[in-house]
Amino acid sequence: MHMRVAGEPAGVIRMSPISYRLGTGALHALDARFKFVILIVLSLSVVKAGALHLALLACGQIALLSFLGCSFKSLTTELRYLLVLLLLVFLVRAFTMPGEAVFRLYWLSFSRQGAAAGALIAARMLLVVLLGTTLVITTRPAEIKAAVEWFLKPFPGLPAARIGTMFGLLLRLIPLLSVQFAETMDAQRARGVENRINPVYRLTWLAIPFLRRSFSAADRLSIAMEARCYTDDRTGHRLTATRRDWLVLAVGIVYGIFVLAT
Amino acid sequence: MTDSHSLRMSVFAALFAALTAMGAFIAVPIGPVPIVLQNLFVMLAGLLLGPRWGLASVGIYLLAGFCGLPVFAGGQAGIGRLIGPTGGYLIGYLPAVYIIGRMTRGSDHRLLREAGAMVLGTLLLYACGVSWLKVVTGLSWTKALAVGMLPFLIGDALKIAAAIPIARSLRPVMQTEVPAADPMRMETAGRTGSTP
Repeated sequence: MHMRVAGEPAGVIRMSPISYRLGTGALHALDARFKFVILIVLSLSVVKAGALHLALLACGQIALLSFLGCSFKSLTTELRYLLVLLLLVFLVRAFTMPGEAVFRLYWLSFSRQGAAAGALIAARMLLVVLLGTTLVITTRPAEIKAAVEWFLKPFPGLPAARIGTMFGLLLRLIPLLSVQFAETMDAQRARGVENRINPVYRLTWLAIPFLRRSFSAADRLSIAMEARCYTDDRTGHRLTATRRDWLVLAVGIVYGIFVLAT
Repeated sequence: MTDSHSLRMSVFAALFAALTAMGAFIAVPIGPVPIVLQNLFVMLAGLLLGPRWGLASVGIYLLAGFCGLPVFAGGQAGIGRLIGPTGGYLIGYLPAVYIIGRMTRGSDHRLLREAGAMVLGTLLLYACGVSWLKVVTGLSWTKALAVGMLPFLIGDALKIAAAIPIARSLRPVMQTEVPAADPMRMETAGRTGSTP
């Protein structure tokens, strides 16, 4: 919430925690390409990780995210649907897997093995999400764009520069759209939309203005890009790898392999 | 195809990818299974962007998820998600958006044609999703259909019904190349003068 624009009334801007934040830490300085590789290696190894490594990784992740200025509360509100889904996964596993019963609810039995398996799966899913969140928080869209371009360059026939631009735009647009959605909601509330009982009316007058506004924002964006003579072959963000990047990459990969092997 | 047109379309394709990612977060709690708005935006991308740019939009969205950015339903992501039991639904967006864009291209936006295209697109989506679900989990066909398709059909019907008027009202905003040519657009621009 520390990114609120000065002068904006409180409550209008609900900054999503899943967007880039300024910072000067080690993770911000790391080369975006290396971050991508480490992210992919770690999220693959998480799929096979046992409880010990999951706990280790989760503690590290949560400490890192709170260090980066993402409060626990804002994170839980942002990920509430995921948390509900994870709870469901856990409960379904616990009640359907045969095993030693802890307690019974009518004909269902809550088994210990099921609970353990469910908790493991839920923790894995949560960790993958936290890893992605960390990448988005610590990497500028321009760096992500450059990294995507770099990875796609070896493939012939793919317009790497264009894909990179669209990727960067996607990342920039998600927080913008959520701000615009909240604004539209407030605007309709100010017009007394809550007095309307008909849900179709309320949804229509939320969705149509929101989409219209985002479309004209995209329209203005494309005009602005054209006015600045945007072309695909422009000089983008220069990514430079240092010795520290390679070191972090090596540590990440070794740790990933270690998790996979044990 | 001019360069200006392709630039404009790629901005709109990115916009649709962002909307799809947002739609994965917004769940409307109606009925037993919450309705996720992801495939509504995929259908709209087909209707409004056409086959080529619709494919580009879905492709960018899937690439973002593949790279580990939290854009799939409930904020999930990763390769694991794409090859997991529900990955077929994500891959199925590609043929769905293509067929919707292809069938409605050039037609003067007739109601039946658009609805038919979306029904066909949804069927293609489930053909991919349910068969992949069956392969991964080893469920029988009837069970895979009962788990992976039947609970969502009412929501999909609602989404198809909603997509047609939404596409109708957005088309004028999309098709104006000159900013102030359309009175509807001027009204929108006036109202949103201060937005970023």
